[in-house]
Parts: sequence; structure tokens; C-alpha cells
Amino acid sequence: MLEAAFDGLLGILTWHSLGMMALGVLIGSAVGFLPGIGGPTTLAIMLPFVMTMDDPYPVIALLVGLDAVGNTASAFPSILISIPGSSGSQATILDGYPLAKQGQAARALSASFAASLLGGFVGALVLVASLPILRPLVLTFGSPEFFVLTLWGLTMVAVLSGNAPVKGIIAGIIGVLVATVGMDAKSGMPRFDFDYDYLWDGISLIIVALGLFGIPEIIDLASRKTSIAESEELGSGFFEGIKDVFRHWWLMVRSSAIGAWVGFLPGLGSSVADWFAYAHAVQTEKNTEGFGKGDIRGVIAPEASNNAKEGGGYIPTLAFGIPGSTSTALILTAFVAVGIKPGPDMLTTQLDLTFAVIWTLVIGNVIAVVMCGVLARPMARACFMPFHSIVPLVAVFVFIGAFSANFSLNDLHALLAFSLLGFMMRRHGWPRPPLLLGVVLGTKMETYLWLSYTRYGLEWLLRPAVIVLLILVAASLCYPILKERRERQVRGTEPNEGAPES
Amino acid sequence: MNRDRRLHYEGVLFTIIVGVVLLWTLRVADGWDELRASIIIFVLGGAGVFLAAVQVVRDLWPRRGGAEAGGIHFDAPALKSQGRWGNLEIWGWILGFYAAIRIIGFPTAVPLFVFGYAKTYGAGWLLSCLLAAATWAFIYGVFEHVLHVPWPEPWLWGSD
Repeated sequence: MLEAAFDGLLGILTWHSLGMMALGVLIGSAVGFLPGIGGPTTLAIMLPFVMTMDDPYPVIALLVGLDAVGNTASAFPSILISIPGSSGSQATILDGYPLAKQGQAARALSASFAASLLGGFVGALVLVASLPILRPLVLTFGSPEFFVLTLWGLTMVAVLSGNAPVKGIIAGIIGVLVATVGMDAKSGMPRFDFDYDYLWDGISLIIVALGLFGIPEIIDLASRKTSIAESEELGSGFFEGIKDVFRHWWLMVRSSAIGAWVGFLPGLGSSVADWFAYAHAVQTEKNTEGFGKGDIRGVIAPEASNNAKEGGGYIPTLAFGIPGSTSTALILTAFVAVGIKPGPDMLTTQLDLTFAVIWTLVIGNVIAVVMCGVLARPMARACFMPFHSIVPLVAVFVFIGAFSANFSLNDLHALLAFSLLGFMMRRHGWPRPPLLLGVVLGTKMETYLWLSYTRYGLEWLLRPAVIVLLILVAASLCYPILKERRERQVRGTEPNEGAPES
Repeated sequence: MNRDRRLHYEGVLFTIIVGVVLLWTLRVADGWDELRASIIIFVLGGAGVFLAAVQVVRDLWPRRGGAEAGGIHFDAPALKSQGRWGNLEIWGWILGFYAAIRIIGFPTAVPLFVFGYAKTYGAGWLLSCLLAAATWAFIYGVFEHVLHVPWPEPWLWGSD
């Protein structure tokens, strides 16, 4: 294992990989501090270019670097203008923005950077610690277990990634059905191709991701017409914020552990980790009356957790090939395209690449925090960039990213079709991550199902690990029903809260 | 009919369309000879049609304060229409950009779109020109010069 760790480090420390990591960190930070552009959109734009690379190390450095640091720089808009730069920095607003209004923006920012850095380290440590446990587990799994595992991952994301579990499951099913478009490898039969050559290769994941997330984000930004210009002053207390993190080191460690755990569970991801950590801080810390009014602990907890979750998120992605979020789904697609095989290989023959991911998480976080610290003032000014400058630039890159999938005008038609679908889903509260995950996992699910059936008939359903995983699938599906029932019972004891509004 | 009510019925209609599309996939898969090509569509599509029907019922008769009403929203918040034209305005720009790509080609449409949008929504002449020029330079430098991206032929000055 030590040898693999060393090989992974050497692979990342080449000029090419370091340059790519710096580029990834720069883009990830820019995406983070410009509200309105999400990490998934940027990753989807990057995919066509990354997929042409041969060496896996620069790809890992670029994409993992980009993904790992988005939440670090997203503290800028959260703290300065009360708009989350990414979904993982929503809870930071609660105390970060009041601190900025009190003239302590520099203190809040430095505390968030330090907490992000240490949280990122904890996440990477969790990933390293999980390797000896995962290796024997993954090696005992066969196609039946992997099929039920993909099913579990999909149902978890479908049920948990929105407040509409039925819609989430339907979205996941649509995703799997989208993945069936094109030539079927098992039977050699074209499916849903409508005698259209373009559809024989299936629909590119890049186009689906850009349509579902890119265009709806542009629409949101353009409709809100956000151009907030209050104070651009950071105030003083930059070093005080760093000291704050060490003063509350135990909270930082606990919040990071929560983040890593949330990252490990498919379906929860960035938008939950910060809230869970914030709630934990409010529940467990002493003297909580300052929370929500500018308590530095309300910045430390969410920022530590949202960076730690990246390390946890790579555990199912690398070990089982099951991404738990939109970003890891896109990174997984790029990995497969450049010859990285998520699954047992990542813990045996390709262990050095797993360590390359871990080193990128560590080094990328250091670069991001140094960059955010040094460039704090110009980056703070960039937060105030008006929508009329951001919208057309993002639109251009979304169109070019989609066109680069196959260099066909049909790519743009597919983009517009999925944009309409993504727009309608967001407009009517349908969660979009399950659909994208369905596209990523669809082909795998079908292959594992078919292999299980041809090898074991229906007996694969009686394998002990399959039964355990099927119980988890059932539990995931029952969770929203139990949650609804419990909420109804709670409301039953508090009649006024459930009363209709007049 | 007020905006919320219209949005509600639009949501129901969207769910019905999703259900109909899922039903249609079952019908198409039914015509295939190979069961191994269609089995996953039967299994998941069938479940999808059933769940879409459940969702239509939930949409038509929503339970106040049910699971969909409380808790944290893990996806981005629902899009809201703002202003007189709502989201149609930006859709117009997006479709206009697509039309411009078809008519005058990518390299010309890109700076035109960036300039037009920025200028229309309040950017000054200098900023609009700078943004358009920077985007064009980036597209030309990276995509045309380095990557040699084969842009689609525009209608106006194509080789045909």
C-alpha cells in the first residue's frame, strides 16, 4: 500500500499533473465564487476536452482538483452577499453574512478557509482509512451484488435528493431508460433510434448534464437578474479567523467526520453536509444564542463538513463505481473514458490512482486555500460581477461543451431537448440528480442484471449479500413513507401548525 | 386563473406527459424480438408508469404538509417566473443564439450573442465590446486554432 501511495504521489507531482491541478483549482474556485455557475455544469463543460487525454494522472488532478475546492471559494458569495456560491455553502450564510455586516468579513473568510483546508484533510484521511476495509469487501462481490448495489445507490439518490421521493424514483427510471437509447451491446439491436444514425451511440452524458443543469442555471440567473452591490470591504481580523478554527478544533473534527459520512452515503452530498454539521454545532455546542447572528462556529462547522464530504464521496465512487452525486457521476464518466476502472481494480492493480485522488484532495485544498487567502480582495470584488456579464459567457460554454460531444448539430438539438426537460423538472420540483445518475448507472445495471441472470438464474436473489442489500433498497424506499407518517403524527399533536392558511 | 394555479396545472400536465412517455417506451419495447434488450425497459418502465399515476393523484389531491412540503430541498430551489415575460425572455435568447449558430455559424454568433445580451441588460459599450472580443478571441484561439473544432456550416455562407 505504501508503494502505491508513493507511486500516486509521484504521478501527481509531475509538471503536467501539477499544472492541470492548478488549472482545476483555479476553475473550481472561479466557479465557487461566481454565484450561479454550478460545479456540475463546469465539470460537464470540461468532459469533452478531458476525454481526449491519455494519461490518467492529469485527468485526476484536473477534475478532482476542480471538484474538491469549489466549496472553499464559494464561501466568498455566501459571506459577502448572502448568496451561496455552491449548494454546499448555504448554511455558511447564516452566520457568515451577519459577521460580514458587522465588519468581520475577513475573519469569517479566513475561518472558512482554514476549516475547509482541515476538513479536506480529514476527508482524505477517511478515504485512506477506508481502503483496508473496502478491499476484502469489494473482492467478494459478484455481478448480483453489484447489480443490487447500483439499485441501492439509485434509490438512495432518488429518495433523498429531493423532497419528492416518488418524483425522484421516476426521474431515476427515466435516466436508466435514457441510457438504453442506442445499440444494445448484448443483442446488437438498436433501441429507441428512430432510424436515426446519431442515436446509435446513445445520448452523451455531457449533453444530458449540460441540458439538465447548465441551461436551467442560466435561466435562473437571468430571471433573478442578480446584481448586488453593497460593501466590498473585507474589514480586518484575517488571522483571528484562523485562530478561531484552532480554538474550536474539536467542532471542526466532528463536523468533518459528519461531512465524510454524508459524502459516503449516495444521494445526500454537498447540499446536506453543511446543514447537518450546522445543526450538530447548534445542538452540541455551549452558548448557542449567538448562532444565526454572527457566531464564528456557524461558519467553521459547515465549511469543514462540505470539504470533508469530498473524501467520503470518493469511497463508493472508486470502490464500487457508484457515484453518490452529480459531480462524482461526471468525474466517473471521465475516469472510465481515460481507462480508469472504478471497482475492485481501484483497490488492487490501480491503487496508485486511488492514492492520486487522495493526494489531489490534499494538495488541491492547500493550493485553493493559499490562492483564496492571497487573492481574497480581488476575488471578493469579482463576487459582485453582474448577471449580464456571466449569463452570456456561461451560455456560450454550455453550447460549445454540448457541441464538442460529437461535433454534430444534433448535439445542440439534444441539448435543447434536455434543457427543456431540466427546466420543467426544476420548475415543478422534480429532483434532477437521480436522472443523471440513472444515465450513468443504467448501462451497468443492465449488464449486471443480465450477467446475474445468465450465470445464476434466479438463485442470485438468495445470496446473503444480495439479501442484505435488497433490505437496504427496501429501507430506502420505505424511508419517505415512514418520514411522512412521523411528520403527520407530530402535526397531529400540534394542531395549529398543520392548519390550512386562510 | 392566477399564476400559482396555472403553475399547479402545468405541473400535473408535466407528470401526465412523463407517464405517457414511459407508457410509450413499454409499447416500443414490446415490438422488439429480443427479450434481453427489452427486459429492463419492461421492469423499470412498468414501475415508472405506476409511479407516474401515483404522482398524478398526489399532484391533483395534494396532502397539506405532506413529505413534499417540509424539510431541506437538496436540489436547487424551483425556478420562478419573474417580470412580465417570466422565463420566456431568456428562452428567447437561448433559442435566438441557436438560430444565430445555424444562420451565421458559431464563430460569428458567439461574440454577437455576448455583446447583444450584455448591452441589452445594462452593460456599457466598453464592457460589452470587451466581453465579446474576449469570448471571440478565446473561441478562435482555443477551439479553432488549437483544437481545430469542425464548426457546422452556416446557412448564410456555407459551401453548398
